[in-house]
Amino acid sequence: MVQPVLEWQAGRVTAIRPETRQTKSFTFALPKWMAHRPGQHYDVRLTAPDGYQTQRSYSIASPPERLREIELTVERIPDGEVSPYLHDVLMQGDELEVRGPIGGYFVWDVRLGGPLLLVGGGSGVVPLMAMLRHRAAQHSTVPTRMLYSSRSAEDVIYHDELNGMAAANDGFEAFYTFTRQPPAGWTGYRRRIDAAMLAEVIKPFDKRARVYVCGPTLLVEAVANALVEMELPIEQIRTERFGPTGV
Amino acid sequence: MAGLISRGFLGRRRPAEVENRLPPGQYLVTDFPVLSAGPTPHTPLERWSFTVEGLVGSPVTWSWEEFQKLPTQTYTVDISCVTKWTKLDTRWLGVSIDTLLKAVQVDPAGRYVMAYSDGGYTTNLPLEEMVNGQAFVAYQFDDKPLDPVHGGPARLVVPHLYFWKSAKWIRGLRFMERNQPGFWESLGYHIHGDPWKEERYSGD
Amino acid sequence: MDRDEPDMNTALMVDGNAVAGQLEQIFGRDMTMTIARCAGCARDAQLGALMAFIRGPGVVLRCPACQNAIARIVETPSAIYLEARGAAYLRMAPQG
Repeated sequence: MVQPVLEWQAGRVTAIRPETRQTKSFTFALPKWMAHRPGQHYDVRLTAPDGYQTQRSYSIASPPERLREIELTVERIPDGEVSPYLHDVLMQGDELEVRGPIGGYFVWDVRLGGPLLLVGGGSGVVPLMAMLRHRAAQHSTVPTRMLYSSRSAEDVIYHDELNGMAAANDGFEAFYTFTRQPPAGWTGYRRRIDAAMLAEVIKPFDKRARVYVCGPTLLVEAVANALVEMELPIEQIRTERFGPTGV
Repeated sequence: MAGLISRGFLGRRRPAEVENRLPPGQYLVTDFPVLSAGPTPHTPLERWSFTVEGLVGSPVTWSWEEFQKLPTQTYTVDISCVTKWTKLDTRWLGVSIDTLLKAVQVDPAGRYVMAYSDGGYTTNLPLEEMVNGQAFVAYQFDDKPLDPVHGGPARLVVPHLYFWKSAKWIRGLRFMERNQPGFWESLGYHIHGDPWKEERYSGD
Repeated sequence: MDRDEPDMNTALMVDGNAVAGQLEQIFGRDMTMTIARCAGCARDAQLGALMAFIRGPGVVLRCPACQNAIARIVETPSAIYLEARGAAYLRMAPQG
């Protein structure tokens, strides 16, 4: 299959939804929409009146089953250049240049099967959510576990939706760890993801697990190294590094 | 491509009060962005050395301890990165290239210098733009040891050229007869790199 | 994740996925699954899995095993430069 050339198109903002204090989801209607693979991203480009341009990549949160539009969930980086614009200035009805879908490495769809372990830190959950939404839309029962690290319960993106998915009893389970402020009465994990935690969560899948890790670079490094030490075959591990927390 | 103007996006700012200190196309930053082409080397100080070699009478090498004994100067300079940020009034402590060259006999043919660093980074400079107080090897920033992410233990600083010329993690200077391109100069960046002339790319 | 950064420079490193759009512009196809064999240590890695240093004058892609610079990309207003001396080869599935 010959791919169409990657080109910029004007996406119209049809919805903006706050997710957490630091994250919002933006829905763009795309004139040249094409189905993506869960885990792929779009580039977003801003242009100032003087011609100055800047661009960033954001993971797609929506599943390919949602036609003609994409949803990007973006964390607001206080000193950032693009994310504060998206959060503070962009309004429904605005048009923004985007290009995509991009990437073929950090992708999963139901054809690839499982068992599936998704490990996310902070807004690293976004591409994992596209995988989970796709899995749900396909009524897949691929055994799937997610280990999701957040500072506090308020920082958990898609919390209600994840709880709903877990309640569906279709083979999906979510595990949370809170690194700064666990909710009152929390009896689960309350530390950074480490080898012991990974070993517990991966246990039923053992070395068959297909693992996707996305988050700040240092989290991804730690998780990937721990998985390799567990002798998980390296070709079953896919990583996507976001850079540092808060930059 | 021209691009659709993003409503309400102003881009980067050039505050009027410092406008005349910002080279063309640059914007002002107050933080210190980290730029690098590779991992931080973290060479232990007992294994660190600084060498002047190439077209010189005989090469000279200083250990870290010896380098610390060289006379230093403080510098307050503006720096401009080709990625378009400019930072004003940065404060450094370092050893002038003039001081280093007192210990070396440079062959008159050695009119160009390749600065080289831990990790394999290189950048080229004309000798005449490194002498007379124009360049120094810095090991303190803001009265503190230079942070490894900003090039510590020691980096070259050549404030009048784009900051890629100010090689982080520097380990030596090699004198050359011809001006050979370094790491970025060999891949589309300008051989000289004067921010006031906007010498960003080869051909500018 | 909440973590004290031991080295901001390492924390700033991303992977080849981050330049997937730029690579696709150059090659006209997704390149993240393309295998690069490191000319330094002969290890194979997908371009999407290479270490990527993107906050500089250009992009540097490095081998995750030996940190050798596999490729560099510079975009100027008039040209795109891609240097790949550090790759013994790239291996990709044929298109069509």
